[in-house]
Amino acid sequence: MSERTQHRMAATIDDQIGHGGALFWRRLSAWRFWTAIAKWLGLIVILLMYIPLVWLAVMSFSGRPLSGIPYPLTMEHYDELMGAFNKWGEPLYESVAMGVVVGIVCMIVATAVGRAMPRMRKPGGVILIALIPLFVPGLTMGAALFISVRSFLDLRLGLWSIFLGHMVWSLPFSLLLVLIIATRFDHRLLEAAQDLGATGWRRFWDIEFPILRPGIVGAGIFGFLLSFNELLRSIFLRGSETTMPIYNWTMTASHQSQVPIIFSLSTIILAVTLPILGGFFWLLFAKLDRG
Amino acid sequence: MTDSAGSGFLDDLRAGYTRMFSGNWVVPVFVAVWVVIVILPLLVMVAHSFFEMKNYQVSYDASFKTWNSLIDSGRWIAAVRTLRVVLMMTVVEFLIAFPFALWLAKTCKSKVTKAVIITLLTIPFFLDPSSRTIIWRAILGKNGIINTVLMELGIISEPMEWMLFSEFAVHFGMLAPYFPTMVFPIFLVVSLIDDHYLEASRDLGASKLHTLFYIILPLSLPGIVAGAVFTMVPLMATWVEPEMLGGGFVNLLGPSVEAAIRNLKYPTAAALSVFVIIVLALLLTLLILATRRLGSIGDVFQTLRR
Repeated sequence: MSERTQHRMAATIDDQIGHGGALFWRRLSAWRFWTAIAKWLGLIVILLMYIPLVWLAVMSFSGRPLSGIPYPLTMEHYDELMGAFNKWGEPLYESVAMGVVVGIVCMIVATAVGRAMPRMRKPGGVILIALIPLFVPGLTMGAALFISVRSFLDLRLGLWSIFLGHMVWSLPFSLLLVLIIATRFDHRLLEAAQDLGATGWRRFWDIEFPILRPGIVGAGIFGFLLSFNELLRSIFLRGSETTMPIYNWTMTASHQSQVPIIFSLSTIILAVTLPILGGFFWLLFAKLDRG
Repeated sequence: MTDSAGSGFLDDLRAGYTRMFSGNWVVPVFVAVWVVIVILPLLVMVAHSFFEMKNYQVSYDASFKTWNSLIDSGRWIAAVRTLRVVLMMTVVEFLIAFPFALWLAKTCKSKVTKAVIITLLTIPFFLDPSSRTIIWRAILGKNGIINTVLMELGIISEPMEWMLFSEFAVHFGMLAPYFPTMVFPIFLVVSLIDDHYLEASRDLGASKLHTLFYIILPLSLPGIVAGAVFTMVPLMATWVEPEMLGGGFVNLLGPSVEAAIRNLKYPTAAALSVFVIIVLALLLTLLILATRRLGSIGDVFQTLRR
């Protein structure tokens, strides 16, 4: 392109804003710190997510955990935590068990529905219905389920109602994960397998499953993780049950004296889960990037 | 068939599985169950907002009494405050997330950095909400680390008490948790914008800001709308942050719903929740109408697909 045309083009764009204004905008966009500002503001917000976690770990060793200074360092909260195992052992076990069940059910349902949806002629409506819980705040969905189950149907709340709330929350995410991969699945592969004499089971297990596996595994892991830390729905649907997030909530919200124990408990849980989470997502995103 | 390893039971299991999964009934059954456990409860809740409590029992006479009492009891102040907090936080998150997503999608060339940042943005979805919020008390509080350090350094003589149990604390505590939901959709859409469009714009003599406003912004509208929605939805009924960092001074709708249920005022909780959903629907409609002026979202998908 000749320089003259280039100038004329620039002039056309400038005309839309007025010449004086355009010069201002041109100078403004030439400022070389924009990129740095964009990058660092975002990174600072990410830091705001992780600094509290580090501080949580530091203060769990502090003699005065709600004060500003970590010193004197002590292990007493961890001793106390071990002594109080009968209080938090049950909620931890309940959360792990619930997470495993929700994860497995999510995995199965998301696979069954996720692989059937792309074969429909118009899956849009079904996808929209499946994703409704993403557009309803957790507390609101919890209240709706609570009012229906407790007040309207007059049923006893318990683990089953927590399970219901967790499924409503986790399944849309699991389904999305399977759908992302299932929509790209080439169904001619299955026809080819059928022509070669493979049974329905072999077609699924030897061809479809290996291809969908990242989505299926992801669905299970998301189901577990989302259930393990779910608070906003469980708080209404708990009945007399206590999961880990509910325990943490009640201890931190209403018993100031219990806060140090929660610090140490959260630190232990973070020390176990953060590396697993980090490793899992690292592998996932590194793999996605290559693929 | 080639499959001879299975015992009788396993064969039955596989045959059953094949029948189960080859059928066309999976999706209809799923939709039916989903309607029962998601949509029906929401409808029951809407219905409940027109009932009232009498002697700790819901009396099923439809009326507007609960709705009227909401207005009379001054809960609309909490509603207005919630709306203000939600809009404020959504705008702030957008202002930080949009440039950051641009940088992450287009400027950041290192794949390792990208993967690390995406990982760091994903992990917060899976952290316990109470423990990661309560720790702010030890940071922002009267005897917290910030006040202690500033007083030791002699920068302030009195601890700054506005940092905790205030609207500032609630806003500040929500900044990081609601950031990823805004970044991800924008990042995904901006990643899809063909670099050739940006080069063409530059070749035609547009400044970077022109490219930003006339090319990138219109093309990333779907991501912006999605980011705003997924940030607004949880914000509208946020509960942990105002309870823990507001210290009872920041009365939002989320805590009101929880308090109403705790006090067995189910119709009140229902009405407040329905209100939350109505406001969200209105905000979403406004958002789509506003962005339609800038460009049709359908056109954007056409352009991105090319």
